[in-house]
Amino acid sequence: MAFNFNWSPLTADAEFYSRARDLLTKALNKSPKPPIIVDDILVSEFNLGTVPPDLEILEIGDLAEDRFRGIFKMTYAGDAYLTLKTRVQANPLNTYLFSKPEFTSPQPLAAASGLTIPLSITLSEIKLSAFIILVFSKQKGLTLVFRNDPLESLKVSSTFDSIQFVRDYLQRTIEQQLRNLMMDELPAIIHRLSLQLWCPDQANKGVETPKEETDEEGVNPLSSPPLDPVDANGNVLDPSAISEISLNGGGETQSLFSQKNLLRLAALTDSHRTLSLFTPGIRDVVFRAWSGCADRNDVATPSVSSPSRVRTNSYTGTTGTTYTFSDTGSTLHGSISSRPTLTSVNSSMGLSVGGNPRSRPGRKKKNRVVNLRKTKSEAVTPESQSEAGTSTPTSVNVPLSEPLFDNSIPEADELQDDHFTGDHFTPQTLVPDVGENPPTLEELTSALKDLKMFADATANSRRPSLEKGSPREAAGAAAQTSPDVLDQDWVMKMASEIARRVYDEKRSQQRGKWNEAEDAPPPAYEASPQSPCH
Amino acid sequence: MREFMDYVHSAFYEATGWRRDNSYAALNSTTDALLNFRTPRGLRLTLSALASPNFATSYQLGSVGVVDGSISYLFSSVPLRLLLTPQSENVPLPDLLRSYRPLTPVARRDDPSLRRPDDEDKTNESLLYGRLYLPRSQLEALLVRRLSPALQAQFSAVSGQHLRDGGTALGLLQYDVGRYALEGLASTDGGLLGFRGVYNFGGDLSSKKHAQHSAASPAENGIGGGGNGDKERIYGRFSTGGEIYYGTLNKSGGISIGARFATLPDHKGTPLSATLTLNPLMGNIAASYAVMAGKDCSLATRMEFNIFSYESSWAVGMELWRKPFARLAVDGEVSDTDVPAKTSVTKSATPAERSFNAKLEWRLDEPEKVTEKKPGPKMNGSNAAKSKSEAEKDKEQEYAGVVKARLDQNLRLGVLWEGRVKSLLFSLGSGIDLKMMNKPFRTLGLEVQFSS
Repeated sequence: MAFNFNWSPLTADAEFYSRARDLLTKALNKSPKPPIIVDDILVSEFNLGTVPPDLEILEIGDLAEDRFRGIFKMTYAGDAYLTLKTRVQANPLNTYLFSKPEFTSPQPLAAASGLTIPLSITLSEIKLSAFIILVFSKQKGLTLVFRNDPLESLKVSSTFDSIQFVRDYLQRTIEQQLRNLMMDELPAIIHRLSLQLWCPDQANKGVETPKEETDEEGVNPLSSPPLDPVDANGNVLDPSAISEISLNGGGETQSLFSQKNLLRLAALTDSHRTLSLFTPGIRDVVFRAWSGCADRNDVATPSVSSPSRVRTNSYTGTTGTTYTFSDTGSTLHGSISSRPTLTSVNSSMGLSVGGNPRSRPGRKKKNRVVNLRKTKSEAVTPESQSEAGTSTPTSVNVPLSEPLFDNSIPEADELQDDHFTGDHFTPQTLVPDVGENPPTLEELTSALKDLKMFADATANSRRPSLEKGSPREAAGAAAQTSPDVLDQDWVMKMASEIARRVYDEKRSQQRGKWNEAEDAPPPAYEASPQSPCH
Repeated sequence: MREFMDYVHSAFYEATGWRRDNSYAALNSTTDALLNFRTPRGLRLTLSALASPNFATSYQLGSVGVVDGSISYLFSSVPLRLLLTPQSENVPLPDLLRSYRPLTPVARRDDPSLRRPDDEDKTNESLLYGRLYLPRSQLEALLVRRLSPALQAQFSAVSGQHLRDGGTALGLLQYDVGRYALEGLASTDGGLLGFRGVYNFGGDLSSKKHAQHSAASPAENGIGGGGNGDKERIYGRFSTGGEIYYGTLNKSGGISIGARFATLPDHKGTPLSATLTLNPLMGNIAASYAVMAGKDCSLATRMEFNIFSYESSWAVGMELWRKPFARLAVDGEVSDTDVPAKTSVTKSATPAERSFNAKLEWRLDEPEKVTEKKPGPKMNGSNAAKSKSEAEKDKEQEYAGVVKARLDQNLRLGVLWEGRVKSLLFSLGSGIDLKMMNKPFRTLGLEVQFSS
């Protein structure tokens, strides 16, 4: 495998430098400036130089045509330079009095009078050494996070080089400012630039509607990583684990369900139901199909008994059109309820929420498995797909930790669901599940995700294929007993309810979650080669 | 608005005979008061009281978006009741609000023979002051102690969590012998050490004769109402000084020298004050000029120029005293006795009251009362007290309020209106940016103060 990193094409773009200058100027003036700088900081010259940084690949977590996740060690000692222009206060006594309480001020008469001097600062001989976590996906653009403080050394040359203390002060101040820039602002800048490059339709989303995003954060706390997560021992959590959360959590699933994809999916299902010859190609999706339903049930449960039938029927509707994504680890709420123990829930959910990515058992390549099969009565146990990650239909449908006979034991709520056999996604199937035992955050989150998926799917797929029969209509003939609109309303209501619960849960269980998810200590990339993950 | 605690603080200095303005730091105080006055922000209510002659309290509640407040206490070992009027309903407004303050006579400790008989120093007196800002939990403390007639120590400290190192402290040692005054200071913040001094000459300090003349002149002023003999001659005091600071921890420093000429209260012409300060390190030259253009009007200007960066700035300010509308007609005959009173000392009530009293009783002023400096003996003698309160009533009804305005080179306008409604002192101010005409009001505020 070989990677080809092009350094020069960045500079070939004529607009690149002006864009980068604008972004840098904005970023530098955003944070509150030290009192010595009395004017806006203007980036006047910016050049990336000709020497590319050295990249050492430490680990590649995910690789596909449209996405990439890896950890690099970067060292840079190139000839990039940056020239800033601003105006500074040259009187140290003036800056000394700034932000000091007036009560103990020595109140100098004129010794603190200001002298502002235009200043141009050139930052050169930048030496960087950093561990970079790089995540790229076509939908989300490029995300770059520094694991440590990247700035090793830097030469600040300014108009004040002859004055010792001013030079020292400038050096100190600028290094501090640059550290902030690297750690906080640069990832955001790169992300915005990449959005403009690869997905211009989403580029505006992040810029123009930031308020909606913040609202969304309130609803789905896992869509963005916590600011400074620590585990129970107080150790700072591994940033890669955090990026796992943010990427595998709600964020990606939400962005994955773009209008385009859903339209294609709808067309695909329609093509199966009709005799249409047109099958739209959906990239990076393995289509799984099986011939019958009886043999699958045999595989899943050795004894085809009526309790098992009851159980499967209880969530027939939800599995009618199942979007199962292995990396999201989304399990349907119905199956969660049928799990005998909470530990099995954690074993599957811990992967997606807080788990160390390398400690996953049997984790190979992520596949997005879309089950578009029209299933009337049989159940698809999605946890088998999400864990095995293979597309073979004959894989064990029940996790190994789960005893097989558990499926045949009817649970109380499932028996109750017997009356709603034909009905799909009735409140009774869900409400006891949520309220039965104290719902963990993972359950609620996944349930929320499923609901959102479901709602999105129904909303989007119904319109283009109304006359042909939507997948939901095809999912069960009995689905027509409940009107679609009502159903959808209920789903949305339920989603908001669960979102609220997730939020509450998150607030109360924030610590505990990290604790149980963090079995192995976070891998130390720089020091220990025998970290448990390898 | 001048805070109540500051008012009490200056009363303490007055009681102990300390000259607060004989310091290099106070060289610009007149023009600063006219050009750099603070405009209030938000709503602020202050409730103050001189609970006992030695103890003052003040509670403040403010709201600038969020509600905050402060509690402050002050203890003075000298009884202060005789020296200030704590009641906000009859405190003389010019005492509290006037920006243009004429020079006070220096305390001639270097030559006791030149001292005025009423000028006495009280040693071993101290003042303690503490203030707690509530939501921020910031604590201010001040200790002033008079060590000897010429020496005073001052220690102030601020403690707050948001400050670096949790707080700062400043120690200040002041030495004042009248002709010159020296100050040394040390601050914990950056290990700043400072030294500044001022030297006075001319005017009342030039010779023994002048000193005696100045001691006697208020009487002449009071009787004559402005003699025309030496009206042309400018009679004032020169003060020059310098300051130097050095931060031992951050290896930085500052230096400046300055000079001031200000007319003494005995000056018959227009009172004026002119200062020139120079910062040789930073190349900054500042000249300011303040003049009391009329009885009710003071003007000030300041020009600054930097010889290194060629940057310049200017500022103009004014202060206009306003009479109550109803009293405009009746005021005619009182005003002619008030003209010299206004042009004389801050304690202008004394000569004005005396001549008024003398007029009433058809006799001349008593000579021992002439030298009386302070309006202190308010309580002795029913006749004097009565006439005094009458005169005070006259005086306090003379002004209803003051309007202050300033403008600088960035076309930022500051407007302040201070006055009294019933027994409440109010201060209404705004900062206006004339460059942004679509949204000119940068700040807006109202302060209400009640004290008893």
